[in-house]
Amino acid sequence: MGGVITPNLEIRDAIVEKGGLEAYKCYQCGKCMSLCPWFHIETVEFPVYRIPQSVRLGIATSSEDKEEIAREIEEMFRCIGCEACTSRCPLGVSVPNIVRAIRRLLVEYGAFPSELKAIVSKIYNVGNPLGEPRERRTDWTEGYDVPIFRPEMEFLYFSCCVPAYDSRGREIAHATVTIFKNAGLSFGILPDESCCCESIRRVGAEKVFQEVAKANVDAFIRSGVRKIVTTSPHCYSTFRREYVEFGVDFEVLHQTQLFSLLLDDNRLRPRKPLPKRVVYHDPCTLGRQNGVYDEPRHILRSIPELELIEIPNFSREHSLCCGAGGGGLWLDWPMEERISNVRINQVLETEAEVLAVACPYCLQMFEDTAKSMNLSLEVKDVAELLAASL
Amino acid sequence: MRDIFVLAEHRRGELRDITIEMLTKGRELAECCGVPLTAVLLGHGVDRFAEKLASYADTVVLIDHPQLENFNSETYQAALSPLLEDRQPFLTLIGHTAFGIDVAPRLSAQSNIPLATDCIDIRCEDDRVFAVRQIYGGKLNAEVSYENAPQYLATIRPASFPVREYGLKGEIVRTDCPALKTPEREFLEYVEAPAGEVDITQADVIVAVGRGIKEKETLPLVEELAKSLGGVLACSRPIVDAGWLPKDRQVGSSGKTVKPKLYVAIGISGAFQHITGMKGSDTIVAINKDPNAPVFNEADYGIVGDLFKVLPTLKEKIAELKSG
Amino acid sequence: MEIVVCMKRVPETGDAEIAVDSTGRDIVRDRLTYDINESDNYALEEAVLLKEKFGGTVTLVSMGPPETDETLRMGLAKGGDVAVRLWDHRFARSDGHATAFVLAKAIREMEFDLVLTGCIATDDGRTQVGVTIAALLGIPHATYVMKVDIEDGIATVQSELEGGLIAVNRMKTPALFTIQTGINEPRYPSLISIKKATAKEIRTLTLDDLGLEASSAGEEGSKTKIVKLTPPPVGKRAEILEGAPEVVSARLTEIFKEKGMI
Repeated sequence: MGGVITPNLEIRDAIVEKGGLEAYKCYQCGKCMSLCPWFHIETVEFPVYRIPQSVRLGIATSSEDKEEIAREIEEMFRCIGCEACTSRCPLGVSVPNIVRAIRRLLVEYGAFPSELKAIVSKIYNVGNPLGEPRERRTDWTEGYDVPIFRPEMEFLYFSCCVPAYDSRGREIAHATVTIFKNAGLSFGILPDESCCCESIRRVGAEKVFQEVAKANVDAFIRSGVRKIVTTSPHCYSTFRREYVEFGVDFEVLHQTQLFSLLLDDNRLRPRKPLPKRVVYHDPCTLGRQNGVYDEPRHILRSIPELELIEIPNFSREHSLCCGAGGGGLWLDWPMEERISNVRINQVLETEAEVLAVACPYCLQMFEDTAKSMNLSLEVKDVAELLAASL
Repeated sequence: MRDIFVLAEHRRGELRDITIEMLTKGRELAECCGVPLTAVLLGHGVDRFAEKLASYADTVVLIDHPQLENFNSETYQAALSPLLEDRQPFLTLIGHTAFGIDVAPRLSAQSNIPLATDCIDIRCEDDRVFAVRQIYGGKLNAEVSYENAPQYLATIRPASFPVREYGLKGEIVRTDCPALKTPEREFLEYVEAPAGEVDITQADVIVAVGRGIKEKETLPLVEELAKSLGGVLACSRPIVDAGWLPKDRQVGSSGKTVKPKLYVAIGISGAFQHITGMKGSDTIVAINKDPNAPVFNEADYGIVGDLFKVLPTLKEKIAELKSG
Repeated sequence: MEIVVCMKRVPETGDAEIAVDSTGRDIVRDRLTYDINESDNYALEEAVLLKEKFGGTVTLVSMGPPETDETLRMGLAKGGDVAVRLWDHRFARSDGHATAFVLAKAIREMEFDLVLTGCIATDDGRTQVGVTIAALLGIPHATYVMKVDIEDGIATVQSELEGGLIAVNRMKTPALFTIQTGINEPRYPSLISIKKATAKEIRTLTLDDLGLEASSAGEEGSKTKIVKLTPPPVGKRAEILEGAPEVVSARLTEIFKEKGMI
């Protein structure tokens, strides 16, 4: 590409109108580049710092060449929303938010990958990205005697779609309710909830997000919900930071925060030892985006004989994304372009036996990667490790 | 009431199966309504089909003309319209095939005969005809009625009706062809799809993939499964559209029809275009995460599950069995 | 080259759960996402490719209620130049014939060398409208078209038949082709073309604008009618193997062994 770029102010304004205002702040220092997970994949060029610039010039996803626009749009859907860039930007510019604004325009015109179209369609139609029937949302509770939420209960437990419907994900939900019951926690579940829609909001499907999220808010209010505890950091983040746009103010906790509190109150007493080397991976949405780092570690350290390891250089706010955010869970990049592979390799270097996570998306990504790399590494949610120790 | 007509379909010297399916159903309807069944055969030098048609129909109207040698929707329609005008059959059945759907709507519009397409069932009640069609990819059936009219037209989906013999000896009536204009569309030739290295129609075991496999990278895993069962890899249309496999691997109405001993359908929903190509398999196994996928209506065994979880374990179990 | 492309807005039902509504004659449409009918998308791309080669304009036509504008705008963003929407409440519940009748009436007033339509609609699967329009317009047609070559007003097209066989036909334009999926690779619109599309006007034509009688459109003008919708009969269902992946895989492997496949 050579020659002079002609700025297109109409495009710029259209993107800004959809939420891309931050693009103006960027002064092109390029700090974000080295932090972006795509930086670790040699064969992929994902120009993070160019995105705000392309918005200001109004040239983002604007090529009129058929091949080039396909490439540009594919690139625009590579952003996994980990916000590593945001965390180190001197001005706190969130490229994922800018990307989301561009995606909103693209999604309105159906200019986005068909895999994501299918996910949006499923969430809208049956309230979950797996396309499973609504009526089966609470099937996971079979054999676990989980009460339906009533206003006098303290917490609404929001399991997340993956633990609700996926066979492996269900093991996290089972572990969680086991822990809650062990601690004598007052909680219940709501059958008529839908996906929190965090990921499709990142994908740019704003209309569907508004409709489905509003339905959730209405259901919560109707049922007298005040406090919510979630398994997924994505649900946690969305309820805490984005559902406030609907004028509500629920108290939201991620389950690791709640487990941590229960431990401190001595309502949970992990006794059974787990003599293994366990490395903890900070999920982007829990750690970097919401500042929850210590609680999961507190839980792991409370398990007897567990040896907690950190990933050197890439721990806490420097954690490398698993690659599932921003729609990444449903887009299939070729094997040599998988961010999860890079992260797993970092994990392997620690010689840990168990990879502990606190997010159902991370669990899915890492288990799939471990399997495809034929590893003996165990991937477990913190809840599973804690439940096994009670 | 007047006759029921069935338009025979043939191509390159062969009478196509849909013709016999329609004649079998047509015979049943004709006997039910107490009316004659007439087969209509258009072509050039196609006398040898007439006897077969006459084993079902009371009458075979044979119109032979050089301009009817190769199928052409204009000439076929120009030959049919006067015939239908003259004989006023109560119901005319045409195959819902590439040829059939090329001519039926033309015939319907020119001769003003109401048409229902892609019918999987059809019945006559007094003077009325009702058809059943599938919509939304087979998720629902629609019962369709026609507005009152002197004649009705329906295109029939292949493999909707079983065939049987009747062994009749209908009368073969050679009928003059009406004057045919030179059609605006000129048939040039048939072209075979380029041959590939694998002829899936010869395989005993076929493992086929559909949209459910999500990405091209899953193919090697499925191919391994196929190999471990001594079979070949095939697919449904979307996989070919996406350029992941060549056309010669496509099973379905616009691809190949296969009848292997074992057909394993992975991530295939079971749209009829695909089903029609593999229905005849001895044993059909389907793996799909949607319990309502139409493919489970065709399969003998089904696994409702995530193929990404099932395939690796299946591969393991087969390897175990082979070595153990 | 002036090309008219017929487009349909269809619900995405492949992954969705669909239920019959209270009338028993339609589905519940509350929570369905909509898109351009798949083969229409390929038809549009083919039209744009021809426009790029020969110049001219691509006119999009769709019969549908106001929501259809969304689909027409998508088409304008992908290379359509002009969009016309035909709607009147009296067009509702049209069958294939009535739909074709209305579309043909509108197209007849346009200047065109080609009319392209998708070969089949994913919702009703009628495969009927395209050919009917050709018959009503009195132009030659070809169906399931996989390749279009045009030179000096003569079109040579390849139509897909069963079993991978192809029929090659030739005709003068104006002509109508129903386009099969896979003929090309539909493009993504860019933000520039999306922006241009938002600015374009979509003409709406009603029954009166088209000079039609109410009796020739909608339910009145239809030759067939849906009496009721029912779920397909369950029929012979597969024996479903239950359990975790290891369990079902083991059972399936046994079945393969029993059938002599291993």
